[in-house]
Amino acid sequence: MKAGKENNWGHKIAGIGNSLGAWLIVILMALILSVTTKAFLTPNNIINVVRQISVNAMVALGASFVVLGGEIDLSTGMASTFAGCNAALMMTKLGMPMIPAIIICLVVGVLVGCFTGFIVTILKIPAFIGSLGVQYMVQGATLLLTNSMPISGLSEEFLVLGRGYIANVIPVPTVIMAVFIIIGAIVLKYTPFGRSVISVGENATAARLSGIDVTRTKIAIFAICGFCAAAAGIVQASRLSSGQPASGGDLSLQALAAVYVGGTFKGSMLNTLAGALALGLVNNGLNLMGINPYWQKMALGIIIVLAVLFDQYRIKKSTARK
Amino acid sequence: MQTEQSDILKLTNVNKSFPGVKALCNMCMTVKKGEVHALVGENGAGKSTLMKILSGAYIKDSGTIEFCGHEVEITSPKQAERLGISIIYQELNLMKKLSVAENVFLGRYPRKNGFIDWKQMNKDAKELFDTFDIKMDVTAMVRSLSLAQQQLVEIIKAVSINSQVVIMDEPTSSLTASETETLFRIIQTLKDRHIAVIFITHRLDEIFRICDRLTVLRDGCFVGTKAVHEVTKSELISMMIGRELTQQFPPRKVTLGEVSLEVCNLSDGYRVKDVSFSARRGEVLGFAGLVGAGRTETMRLIFGADPKTSGVVRINGTEVNIRNPRQAVRQKIGFVTENRKEEGLFLSLPIKVNIAMVAYKKILTRSFFNFKKERQVAEQYVNDLHIVTPSVDQIAMLLSGGNQQKVVLAKWLLPDSEIVIFDEPTRGIDVGAKLEIYTIINNLAAAGKTIIVVSSEMEEVLGISDRIIVMREGRVVGELAKDQFSQQAVTELAIGGV
Repeated sequence: MKAGKENNWGHKIAGIGNSLGAWLIVILMALILSVTTKAFLTPNNIINVVRQISVNAMVALGASFVVLGGEIDLSTGMASTFAGCNAALMMTKLGMPMIPAIIICLVVGVLVGCFTGFIVTILKIPAFIGSLGVQYMVQGATLLLTNSMPISGLSEEFLVLGRGYIANVIPVPTVIMAVFIIIGAIVLKYTPFGRSVISVGENATAARLSGIDVTRTKIAIFAICGFCAAAAGIVQASRLSSGQPASGGDLSLQALAAVYVGGTFKGSMLNTLAGALALGLVNNGLNLMGINPYWQKMALGIIIVLAVLFDQYRIKKSTARK
Repeated sequence: MQTEQSDILKLTNVNKSFPGVKALCNMCMTVKKGEVHALVGENGAGKSTLMKILSGAYIKDSGTIEFCGHEVEITSPKQAERLGISIIYQELNLMKKLSVAENVFLGRYPRKNGFIDWKQMNKDAKELFDTFDIKMDVTAMVRSLSLAQQQLVEIIKAVSINSQVVIMDEPTSSLTASETETLFRIIQTLKDRHIAVIFITHRLDEIFRICDRLTVLRDGCFVGTKAVHEVTKSELISMMIGRELTQQFPPRKVTLGEVSLEVCNLSDGYRVKDVSFSARRGEVLGFAGLVGAGRTETMRLIFGADPKTSGVVRINGTEVNIRNPRQAVRQKIGFVTENRKEEGLFLSLPIKVNIAMVAYKKILTRSFFNFKKERQVAEQYVNDLHIVTPSVDQIAMLLSGGNQQKVVLAKWLLPDSEIVIFDEPTRGIDVGAKLEIYTIINNLAAAGKTIIVVSSEMEEVLGISDRIIVMREGRVVGELAKDQFSQQAVTELAIGGV
C-alpha cells in the first residue's frame, strides 16, 4: 500500500504529536503561561516547578514500567508514605544512620512491589484490585507503626535530599529525579528487560511463546515500581522535614495521571517526565493566576481527559492504513 | 414476479479508494436469488472492502448497487440489515455471555408490558432452529458452544431478520470436516429458500463443492464471473493470481539426516494421548488430522507451552525436560503458531522489534540493544523473505496476512532454530504468499533443519511433507511414507473406521 500524497490537518497534527508527544502539551502550556503571567518565566518559578514535580515524576517512572507491562499499581502512594515514615522512624526512634535506613526502606519498597507482583501473577488477581488491597495493607502498617503521628526531628543531612540545592540553583530532588528518569529511560529502551516489559504489555501470550518469562517480568515491574515509590517517599519525607503518615493518599493516582498524560505507551520514559511536567504546570499556572485552588482539581481532571483524548486521536491517525 | 434466476443484487462500476490506494476499481457483480456465489481472490484483492460496502461498514465512492431491482444506498450496517443483507464475519460477532436466543433476537427482543418476554423469545428461537433441523439448546450461553455451533447461531440470526443475501467470510476456516458438512447442509437449506449466499473462502475445493458461480477479484479489479462447472482449479488459480502456476508446491531434493527429535508416549491427560514419533534433519514431517485431533496440543507440549503429564522428548538423542517455551527456545525449537495475531505477533510494535523478539541477544552490544544492528538484521529478513513493507519500522498490524506470517517466521529464523514447528502456516494467506512460505519451508529443510508442519489443508499436507503422521482424538493413528500419500489414505485415517 502506498502512502497518500495529500497531507490533511489530521495527519499533520498526528505527525507533530507523534514526534513530540506530551512535550507538545508542555510547550503549549509554557507558552501560554509565559504570555499570560509575568511570574512564570522567572528562574525562581521554573526551579519551583521542577522541584515540585520531582516526587510525582519518580513515582510515575515506576508506574510507567507497570503500565507498559500491561498492569496497574494503585499502591504506590501508600508505599511511598510507608517508606518515608519508616526512614524517619529508623533515624529518629532507632537512631540509625541515614544510609542504612534509606537502603532498608528501599529494600522494603522492592518487597512491597514483589508482593503486589506475586498477588497479580501467581495468585492471578487483577492488578487493579490486587494493588488496591496492598495499598490498604501498607496504609494500615504505616498507621500502626506511627500511631498516625508525624515523625519529625530529622537530621540536617537527611533534609538535603528534599530541600537542598546544588550550587544554590538546582534542587537536589530534581537531580535525584533526573537520575532516575535517565536510568529508567535507558533500561526501557536499550536493555532486553525493557523490551520484555513492552512485549509483555503488548501481548503476553505471544511474549510467553517467544520465550520471555512473563511472570518474572511482571514481578520485576512491580518491584521497580515499589523501589521508585519508596525512593520518592524518602525524598518527600525530607522535603516535608518529617514522616507524614497521612500524606500520599493522592500520589498513586497522580502518578498514573502523569503516565497517561505523558502517553508512555509510545515506549519512552521521557514521556512520563513530560506528563509529570504538564501536571506540574497546570498547578503552577493556576497558582500564579491566583485561581481558587478548588478549580485546580477541576482543571487537572480536564487536562487528564483531554491529554488522553489527544493521544487516542494521534494513535488512530498514525495507525490508520494509509 | 421474480423467478429463481432473477438477480437479487447487482453492482455496477463500484469504486472505493482509501488515501493513496484504490481498493476497488469499477467492480461489477451480480448475485442471483438462491445461488451460492463464491468470491475469490488473493488477500488484498478487495474482497473484504467489497463485503464491507455491502454490509454498510464502508460507503462506496461511486457506482450503483441494485437490490431486488431497485437502486439502493447502503449507508450503515443497520440499513444493510434492514434491506436484508447479513454478514457473518470470520471473527464471530456474538455476545458470548448471553444465551443463544438472546443473541438471535439481540436488539429486538419480544416484549410483554415493556419487559423482555423470555418464554416467547426462547420458543421463537427454538422454532427457528427446528426449521433448519439443527439441534440447539437456545438457553445455553454462547460461550459454551463450539465455534461451529456459534456460526450456526449467526446464520440463524441472519435468517431470522429475513435476510435475502447472507455473506459468509471464510466460514469453514476453523471448522472440522463434519462441522463443515453441517454448514454445507445449512447452506443448501438457505438455497432452497431462495436466499443467496456469498461465500468467501481460500479453500478452492469448497467452491467446487457447493458454489454455483464465482467471481474473481484481483488487485481491487473485477476479473470475471463464471459458472463453477465451467472452470478448472488451475484456471481459477491463474485468474486469481494472473499467472499460470505450474506447480503449487515447489520441488525439493530430500536429504535425510540423523533423527533430531524423538517424542515418546507424550500425554497431557486430556487431549494428547500417548503420542510417539520421531523426525529427522532435513525432513518435512506433516501432521494431518481433523481440527481438534490434538495436533496443536501435541506441539504445545513439545514446546513447553502446556504442561505434560507423561512422556519423554529427546533432542539429538539426549533427553530434555522442556517445561516452558523459554527452555524450548534454548533447545533451538521454533514454533510458528496457528494464530499469528494472538500468539505470534506484537501488532503495534515495529517489524524489526518483532523479528528480534526471540534472538534479541544477537543484536546486543555489551548487553545493550544496538539499533543499527537490529535494523540491518530486520532488513536482511525483509529482503530474504520478500516481506512487502515500506520499512522495517512499520508496525506489524499494518501488514497483510502473508507478510505478517513471514515476520513471525523471521522471528524464529533469527535464533537459528534447528527444529521449526509450523502450525497451519498458510491459514488465511493468499496463493502467491503460500507458495513463498512453502519455498521457505523447503529451503529450511534443505539446510538440514527439522520441519514439522501441522496442516488441516489436505493439499498442503500432501504437497509439502516428506512423511505424514495422522492423528485422531489425541492419538497417532497412522504414518504415511511419500509413496503412500493420497487424499484417500489420509482421510481414512483421520476420520477412522472407513
